Amino acid sequence: MDEEILQDFLVEASDLVDQLNDQLVDLENSPTDSDLLNAVFRGFHTIKGGAGFLAITPLIEVCHRAENVFDKIRNGDVEYDEVAVEVILRAFDVISEAMEKLNDGARELPENDPQLLIDLDALTGKKVEEPVSEVSNSAESALQLADGVDPDGDMTDEEFEALLNQRDTSGSASSDSATLSLPEGVDPDGDMTDEEFEALLNQRDTSGSASSDSATLSLPDGVDPDGDMTDEEFDALLNQRDTSKAEPKLAANSAPKISPPPPKAKPKPSPKATASKPSTKDQAKPATKNTTESTVRVDTKRLDDIMNLVGELVLVRNRLLTLKGKNTDPEDLANAVANLDHVTTDLQASVLKTRMQPVKKVFGRFPRVVRDLARKLGKKIELKLEGEETDLDKNLVEALADPLVHLVRNSVDHGVEMPDIRAAAGKPETGTVVLAAKQEGDHILLSITDDGKGMDPDVLRQKAVEKGMMDEQAASQMDDKSAFELILSAGFSTAEQVSDISGRGVGMDVVKTMITKLNGSIDIDSVLGEGSKISIRVPLTLAILPTLMVGFNEDSYAIPLTSVQEIFDFNPEKTNKIDGQMMVRLRDESVPLYFLNEWLAADKPKDNYRGDKVVMVAVGNQRAGLVVNQVNGQEEVVIKPLGVMLKNATGYAGATITGNGSIALILDLPGVVERFQ
Amino acid sequence: MDVADEMPIFGNNAQIDDYGDEPAYLGPCTRCVLFTLENEVYGIQVKKIREVLRVGNIRNVAGAAYGVLGVINVRGVIVTVVDSRSMYNMPSREINDLSRIIIVELDEERTVGLLVDFVMEVKDIPDDKIEPLSASKEGASRYIQGIAHFQDNVIILIDVDNMFSGIE
Repeated sequence: MDEEILQDFLVEASDLVDQLNDQLVDLENSPTDSDLLNAVFRGFHTIKGGAGFLAITPLIEVCHRAENVFDKIRNGDVEYDEVAVEVILRAFDVISEAMEKLNDGARELPENDPQLLIDLDALTGKKVEEPVSEVSNSAESALQLADGVDPDGDMTDEEFEALLNQRDTSGSASSDSATLSLPEGVDPDGDMTDEEFEALLNQRDTSGSASSDSATLSLPDGVDPDGDMTDEEFDALLNQRDTSKAEPKLAANSAPKISPPPPKAKPKPSPKATASKPSTKDQAKPATKNTTESTVRVDTKRLDDIMNLVGELVLVRNRLLTLKGKNTDPEDLANAVANLDHVTTDLQASVLKTRMQPVKKVFGRFPRVVRDLARKLGKKIELKLEGEETDLDKNLVEALADPLVHLVRNSVDHGVEMPDIRAAAGKPETGTVVLAAKQEGDHILLSITDDGKGMDPDVLRQKAVEKGMMDEQAASQMDDKSAFELILSAGFSTAEQVSDISGRGVGMDVVKTMITKLNGSIDIDSVLGEGSKISIRVPLTLAILPTLMVGFNEDSYAIPLTSVQEIFDFNPEKTNKIDGQMMVRLRDESVPLYFLNEWLAADKPKDNYRGDKVVMVAVGNQRAGLVVNQVNGQEEVVIKPLGVMLKNATGYAGATITGNGSIALILDLPGVVERFQ
Repeated sequence: MDVADEMPIFGNNAQIDDYGDEPAYLGPCTRCVLFTLENEVYGIQVKKIREVLRVGNIRNVAGAAYGVLGVINVRGVIVTVVDSRSMYNMPSREINDLSRIIIVELDEERTVGLLVDFVMEVKDIPDDKIEPLSASKEGASRYIQGIAHFQDNVIILIDVDNMFSGIE
């Protein structure tokens, strides 16, 4: 398989799969929308085309059948009813799984579940299936398709060749035992050009049954015989060949297999007209999208901007270079530096923008998630998406996907009630879940709101006591908000009955940890009987991190500011040792103290920490006091990865370069705490 | 040839070089940067090297692996610096004016800095002067690609790929 073509295919097909995901759910609501039907048809078709080129047979099989189904549907022959929806969605899942596997580096896909193929065929009225059974039933002389080859799918050249050979040897063994030979210099395994293909066809026709089909195949109008052949054209040619060709002979063996069933052949021309266009267009456009994490789609205009700014940067450099030699007028220099400042700031912003992607990338999957879940649970739920166009750092988009899925599932599973309960409570039967994103300064605010039953803080308090997380008194003193936040703690599952929906392995505590890792925060609000709202705040980009700079002598370290709660002077009188661990008492709470010096400057032991500061940080749900020599204030830093051999050093999240050009190490607080435990 | 045969050569027993005085050798060559450690001459293929830097501020990283001196800032990229002496089990020594950091490219994205005593020159070494080390590569000799006898020098060619293979 050509890796380069495969990558292009993956980029393109993943895009299509994303689109299909949306469209299929939309289609369920308006099953007769012909634009939508056409779009879905084209989607499957284009994926099939690409997969056919790469001979990804399982993918071809499914796509082809799905395409057939939609062809029928848009022609009004078949209705997109519930049965169809289920089967098609199953098929879609198979396709998206296949894409994922390919993206993950798998190059061999497992065989399709035969039941799915049968179900798909059943939707089109079985006509497609017959030839297959015919093959197996009829005499041994019938051509056998290689395993897993879809009889109607676009053929890869290998398969095609194999079939041709097979046919020639078995089908008309007497007259043309000579198999087709490829012209010299043609790699039998390479991709076939259309000329070669044509030549082969001709060869076959002349040698195979010269008498019966002197009529050469004619290309449809408007098709350039030397141009690249699209698969539709290929199909058409095949059809043409098979129909124009000697009926008696082909009918006996290969015709039912190679040629698509007559009813299918008819509607073909119309899809061709519509489908071939987008497919070629899709191929033509630069395939750059974030599928394998290695590419990002960037607006050309944005690139032009960057190029322009780089040009400016070069100009400033030249100016500075000319200033270098002479007795420089300080004003000139100041101007140049000011200019440089401008250009770099703009450039930084522009480059950051190229990393931005619309939240839509994450949101896109939710309509399907909610739909499936609601169905399973027998609930009626409408999902509203807001602010899909909000831009977010590429890495964040990827990192947010899992936590959001969990939260949305939670809302659907635990939040929204069953229709009858809702009706009894005087609410509309259909529950609403709103997934919203908006930018707030340099943060993104994501929220999941449902109008379900809400959470009862008293139940949560009670549960916390039951689980031994706190005593009754502490629980009763806790305000509602803190009670809601209990659901974020580890081991605090709200689900009394474990369903397969909540059992995804990502507990709320994991969600919390993941969000914390992204330097974000979670806020929960709920009104009993009216619904809940979970808000997530994450920084716009992961690349820039607000930090608190702390120092040991001349070495500086950066602590992510989001984790810092407060800073106070170290006072030995307020500390005590419990079980070998230094603790500090802070407003009736004992917090462990970690002397960073012991780790970061182990060769310079210190016995007097007087004058040091304690930086109180939150790590997950626990707090810790980090004792540092000095606090140097806030700084926004650009995170850079530590070099080789240091990736595994615990306690560091990376490094950064400070204003004076020196390196500051960024502390990874969970790692730091781990080191001290 | 087995290791035993090579031992005397390895022990600084330089042989007289036939090509020593020939200025223009036309056969296939490997261009190397030559540097010294404890008065021995080592070479690394030029194509593996991005640049050679004077030693500036090396920021130490507490808790790093043995031999890692810390990190430096090379035009905005954080690069780990390794004491090449530690690779060959030599005692480390003070950094002085002659010390250099050779920035080695492991692959497109990863670079590492090697602290060496002194960088001599860039030289083309005829390939037929390089004796590959025998297959049994153990311990520190695993990092050695071959030995070249060339122009009065015994040059130990370092296999940087091997040296940093398997590290993260």
